[in-house]
Amino acid sequence: MTRSRWSLLLLALVVSCLIATAVGTIPLSLAQLLRAMTGEGDALTVHVLRSLRLPRVSLAVLVGAGLGMSGAALQGSMRNALAEPYLLGVSGGAAVGAVTAVSIGAGAPVIPLAAFLGAVVAVIVAFFVAHASGARGDPKALLMAGVVVGAFANALIMIALANAEANTVRGALWWMMGSVADATWAQNAWLAAYIAVGGGLLVFVARRIDILTLGEDAAAGLGLDVDRSARLIYLLSAFVAASTVAAAGLVGFVGLITPHIVRRLGARTHRPLLVGSAIAGAALVVMSDLVARVLRPPAELPLGAVTAVIGVPFFLAQLRRFT
Amino acid sequence: MSFLRRSLHLLIALALAACTGGPDTRARANVADSARDDFGAPIAFNTTPRRIVSLNPATTELLFAIGAGDRVVGRTHWDNYPPAALAVTDLGNGIRPNVEAILGVHPDLVLLYASADNRLAADRLREAGIATVSVKGDRIADFRRLTLLIGKLVGSESQAKQLVDTVDQTLARVAAETRSLPRPRVFLHTWNKPIITLGGGSFVTELVNIAGGRNIYDSIPAPSAPVSIEDIVRRDPDLVLAGPEAVAQIKADPTWQVVRAVREGRVVAYDTNVVFRPSVRLGEGAVAFEKLLHPRPR
Amino acid sequence: MIGFDRVTIRYPRASRLAVDDVSFTVERGRLTAVVGPNGSGKSTLVRALIGRVPLASGRITVDQEDMARAHRRRLATQVAVVSQREEALLALRVDSYVGLGRFPHLGDWGSLGARDREAVNAAMERTGVASFRERPVDTLSGGEWQRVRLARALAQGAQGLVLDEPTTFLDVGHEMAVFELLHRITASGQAVLLVSHQLNLVARFAQHIVLLHEGHVAAAGTPADVMQASILERVYEWPLVVTRDPAVGAPALLPLRQPRPPH
Repeated sequence: MTRSRWSLLLLALVVSCLIATAVGTIPLSLAQLLRAMTGEGDALTVHVLRSLRLPRVSLAVLVGAGLGMSGAALQGSMRNALAEPYLLGVSGGAAVGAVTAVSIGAGAPVIPLAAFLGAVVAVIVAFFVAHASGARGDPKALLMAGVVVGAFANALIMIALANAEANTVRGALWWMMGSVADATWAQNAWLAAYIAVGGGLLVFVARRIDILTLGEDAAAGLGLDVDRSARLIYLLSAFVAASTVAAAGLVGFVGLITPHIVRRLGARTHRPLLVGSAIAGAALVVMSDLVARVLRPPAELPLGAVTAVIGVPFFLAQLRRFT
Repeated sequence: MSFLRRSLHLLIALALAACTGGPDTRARANVADSARDDFGAPIAFNTTPRRIVSLNPATTELLFAIGAGDRVVGRTHWDNYPPAALAVTDLGNGIRPNVEAILGVHPDLVLLYASADNRLAADRLREAGIATVSVKGDRIADFRRLTLLIGKLVGSESQAKQLVDTVDQTLARVAAETRSLPRPRVFLHTWNKPIITLGGGSFVTELVNIAGGRNIYDSIPAPSAPVSIEDIVRRDPDLVLAGPEAVAQIKADPTWQVVRAVREGRVVAYDTNVVFRPSVRLGEGAVAFEKLLHPRPR
Repeated sequence: MIGFDRVTIRYPRASRLAVDDVSFTVERGRLTAVVGPNGSGKSTLVRALIGRVPLASGRITVDQEDMARAHRRRLATQVAVVSQREEALLALRVDSYVGLGRFPHLGDWGSLGARDREAVNAAMERTGVASFRERPVDTLSGGEWQRVRLARALAQGAQGLVLDEPTTFLDVGHEMAVFELLHRITASGQAVLLVSHQLNLVARFAQHIVLLHEGHVAAAGTPADVMQASILERVYEWPLVVTRDPAVGAPALLPLRQPRPPH
């Protein structure tokens, strides 16, 4: 990707972060924003900025980066342009974990943990299902296993919610629609750590994804241990996706669309593609969260709804390219 | 399996993260006054609030009833009683409220609905230095407690006491009038798909009791619960109470004909607005139920 | 350089062996061809060589070292394999794509050094794709794509080259060009193993032919040894004659017409 395109991406991210931090129910001018960041000015403004806006925008950046990278890695390694981070059962498992936590009345800190555990369990089950059916690193078998696990997870969720109290249903639904509204600095810290590790490793083995896109035989001929590398990449992608789900619930479409955008900008091999997807995904989620906040004040739209709506014109555009 | 081992590492890392992960910033002030709200947070009664945000229809109508309505600067979208409340700034949801919007009206007291979903908002508001009291009420005793609490909180203790006394007097009167009358067995319908009833944990059941009736589901401890139509048939109520639109639906629905009370046309509408929450209109609610359960021949 | 030593392979749930006690060697400076009807085990051998299919018994050696014990990436610097089919999913430029062939040398993180670039350029020159090095691979014709894949394999810098049906979608001109290239490669001292349907071309270019039939070796030797009507008719189950055109200088197989199927 050319230098000017990189600059464009970075600029998009920086500008969207600035706008998102300044805009809200309490609007801040740029001057106020800068002053408040250093702690000057009205105490309320400083507090709103530091404890509400900044962690929220920061979490949106992290979630978008994680989803972008996870989607790019999966699309490449599965040789499927429609792959997305929630494959392999991540969303289903996380939802089961979160809904279970909500229905037993667990406190707010437990829900992300339960969601993460649910996602991890679902991915492991998907791997076992694929392995038991005899397919090794074959992406098609893993995809199908993920669908199976996802279907089972949906059934569990329906059972849990069928006779649940209204509060539980509302809480579960809200979680499933995705949101960065509850962002705290603590959340930002651990999500940053997980994404640094998972995303960092993905970038490190990005070349292997390039090799995998050549097909399993060609990749093996180039000296790659296809099964192990594919498994590693799937697991890292699922891990990063699961961390974003734990932090912000289900935010769809970002992981699917972002790699396509970055590829259109000219990124071909996966090292630039992963990094570009991280930046583009971050910008996308920050902007979506901004829309979610300002469309119907003081109420907020769920983040997942906004990203889904963005997905529609994107796919229409893609479809037209095929015809 | 290498990935099993990897997953084990993940789980361990998670468990560690969980210990540091969630927010735990509930203030632990040394309060001389040992009152606590429904989230267990301590309540300070030292200053009289002048700008109150009430994010709960029950507390909003309470504030207006005890003469503190002019100090309310924010309400939820659904706080529509009394009519004067509509003039107050609409701040959106009462569950998962927009904290920024609340801070924007510069309150010195926020009354939250004590649902688990609101714990984070309560913490955030407290972090911003704003007195936050989270309350929830399902029963008549809760109404008494909350009214007195809020009265004390806003400095209108005598009005609060008066309100409680007035309601109590009405309830006592209704109870006395219906004590010797036969007690119809009542099914309280509150939602249609799935069928949800009000259980023993709801104040409506208490009102029914006071009004000389008996909720066939008063053995359920929760305020509400889904039930099946077969179970309703088994319990065989004398009377079905439902909201006005629901009454029409029940009468028109052939599946409900299996319930004796519906076949005999004993489906009666009650004004759901009056009994929506255990608050100032409890007395009205008891009187309304008395009329429905023991219709006097004219 | 590459040795197949009593190799036996069975696919799970298959009734018969895919490869049955096959032994032969692929020497440096020689073009060795594996031929045979469909299902005779040719491609299976190649897949075993890249480790995609386990051996039931026997072993495959590269420079006398048992492949099963060798480090995969190092093996890829000794033997380069061009598989039967490959799609270009990434719209890379030709030179970037050929550069992927250096992966066994570079690993996850190394960047292309002078030696790597040299190898890539040399590979592109040899296969005649240097003239369109900047074009994205998804704009290439079938012939161009095949040559680019060959260039990638050459860029691996391996002494051994294995190709599975490299001329399937090529016309006569391109096909001959590939075979001439393979000849030049063996002439420069590398070992080439070719799996092909094209018996006649194989007979002209290969020094050693292994004819497989239902998994086992039906004949092996020089083209003259293997291209015998009696052997070929039995293996291919079709009447044919073997001729020898002086202009060509190698035996050629001509299938006869058989309007009605046998019995």
